[in-house]
Amino acid sequence: TSMVNTKHNVKIAAGAVVCVESEIRGDVTIGPRTVVHPKARIIAEAGPIVIGEGNLIEEQALIINGYPENITPDSEVEPKTMTIGMNNVFEVGCVSQALKIGDNNVIESKADVGRNVILTSGCIIGAFCQVNTCEVIPENTVIYGSGCMRRVQTERPQPQTLQLDFLMKILPNYHHLKKTVKAGHHAS
Amino acid sequence: MASLLQPDRVVYLVRGEKKLRASLSQLYFCRYCSELRSLECVSHEVDSHYCPSCLENMPSAEAKLKKNRCANCFDCPCCMHTLSTRATNIPAPLPDDPTKTAMKKAYYLACGFCRWTSRDVGMADKSVASGGWQEPENPHNQRINKLIEYYQQLAHREKQERDRKKLARRRQCMPLAFSEKYGLGTRLQRQRPGGPISSLAGLSLKEGEDQKEISIEPAQALDEVEPLPEDCYTRTISLPEVTTLRQRLLQPDFQPAGASQLHPRHKHLLMKRSLRCRKCEHNLSKPEFNPTSIKFKIQLVAVSYIPEVRIMSIPNLRYMKESQVLLTLTNPVESITHVTLAACEEGDPDDINGTAKVIVPTKELVLAGKDAAAEYDELAEPQDFQDDPDVVAFRKSNKIGFFIKVIPQKEEDADVVVSFKIRHDFRNLAAPIRPSEEGAETATEGVWLTHHVELRLGPLAS
Repeated sequence: TSMVNTKHNVKIAAGAVVCVESEIRGDVTIGPRTVVHPKARIIAEAGPIVIGEGNLIEEQALIINGYPENITPDSEVEPKTMTIGMNNVFEVGCVSQALKIGDNNVIESKADVGRNVILTSGCIIGAFCQVNTCEVIPENTVIYGSGCMRRVQTERPQPQTLQLDFLMKILPNYHHLKKTVKAGHHAS
Repeated sequence: MASLLQPDRVVYLVRGEKKLRASLSQLYFCRYCSELRSLECVSHEVDSHYCPSCLENMPSAEAKLKKNRCANCFDCPCCMHTLSTRATNIPAPLPDDPTKTAMKKAYYLACGFCRWTSRDVGMADKSVASGGWQEPENPHNQRINKLIEYYQQLAHREKQERDRKKLARRRQCMPLAFSEKYGLGTRLQRQRPGGPISSLAGLSLKEGEDQKEISIEPAQALDEVEPLPEDCYTRTISLPEVTTLRQRLLQPDFQPAGASQLHPRHKHLLMKRSLRCRKCEHNLSKPEFNPTSIKFKIQLVAVSYIPEVRIMSIPNLRYMKESQVLLTLTNPVESITHVTLAACEEGDPDDINGTAKVIVPTKELVLAGKDAAAEYDELAEPQDFQDDPDVVAFRKSNKIGFFIKVIPQKEEDADVVVSFKIRHDFRNLAAPIRPSEEGAETATEGVWLTHHVELRLGPLAS
């Protein structure tokens, strides 16, 4: 029998701000103080997604735990969990398929991070850079430019606490929010 | 069909020192010589210097002193983007009472593109927002300055000898400072390749002053060179620590090999240039002085004087079969223009790229003047030109569409290229109005100009 993973099981912790216009499908857990803008898409097809605290997911960002390209959805694949740590920023229009993302990373606008990339902490993937190698990006690496040049910075990017506080105050004034559902319960 | 409007589709021939083919949008028109000019047959002169990020104008003398760099703006040594100044609040002890600490602002430079900061190379945060940043000094500065002084003196002496020889030959009552009075503006003084560089000579002492004899020690050759470190072959290379060639060569004074020694440099100034026709010495293009303004004081571009041919639609072209191509002709001036087309004759030396035979309309085409107020004038009667519908497809204010017949002669894969001559009348409004002897005559006379036009129509239909 083919298992189709469409458990609509979205757990949103208290303190997270998730706009109703965002599209969240599958088994997704969102931690407190995380802001998900409208039109952001978080899609858990081939396994669950766990998002930590203090993350900022901007408009048209796509976080997808999808099937690798050479495997059809029908065959039996073990579902892998995608984990995203704390204080990460997913800027407008980026695509992230990385299975493991640490803390304090910034994925800039229209960047594309592949499935086999592991971001440790303090990494910055520059705008429009496509990283689809099979590697662990060391800490505090900056990838920038059309040739995806790399350099190491001495300090990690600061967590966007000011921006998060501002958004958590302002967004509810203009958008409806998805209801928070504690882990273990189902939305009635 | 925007590909038909690409600039390289229709090119005009420029008969200058070199024969060039370029699109009309890239050409200039000297209305005193009544000829097309391209960037290669005009002389380029520096008009003014400005910084591209703070848009501050800088007089040329100051620019030379600062080595053509801005005083306020810095370039990232890593990615060459402009650096921005950021501020942080740091607790610092008050000068009056060392036990209490107050929040003070500290400034550092940061790059928004590659996230380089001035703290990466160990530059301390400054307490002022601008003016606190210093470039590191070149250790060879003194030696280079001494060499420059010595060679300046030498050049000055050579120039004096040259002047003396010239005066002796001419035997005329010319003022003593002959070559200094007529500086680098006239064509006689322009640098010829291989000749002596007289620009250094102008910067030295005046003629009457006593000149100190400057002597330099020749450079000494060393026998021993610093040996390589012992772990040169065994040490692992950390690639983020090594500078790229481009980063290294942008700082030719130091050429640091390690990324921790890359200091930011002041931003290079850009310059505005003016163009001058080489034959008649008139300015063809002179920009405005203000760096924020994109307008021109003098702008003699070809598109505002010469009728422009554009391709409108191309049918399927087949080898040795006649097809009709629709072209448009636009009149840029405000007076009525008469245009005659002629195919290139056999053995025309300009026609080297043509791969097809072309049959152009034989009758004269009349173009209405460009009238800027035409769309607002509702009562205007449309001018009746009595166009032949076989030749003129449509007419719209100062533009007409007309047909030409093309017969491709070559069966290769390359594009079909046709060329023809276009002859139009040009009224030179810049020429001085001479009082005519025959009574009331038109003040401006029309001159007939002929241009060679080539069109690239695309490949044959398979």
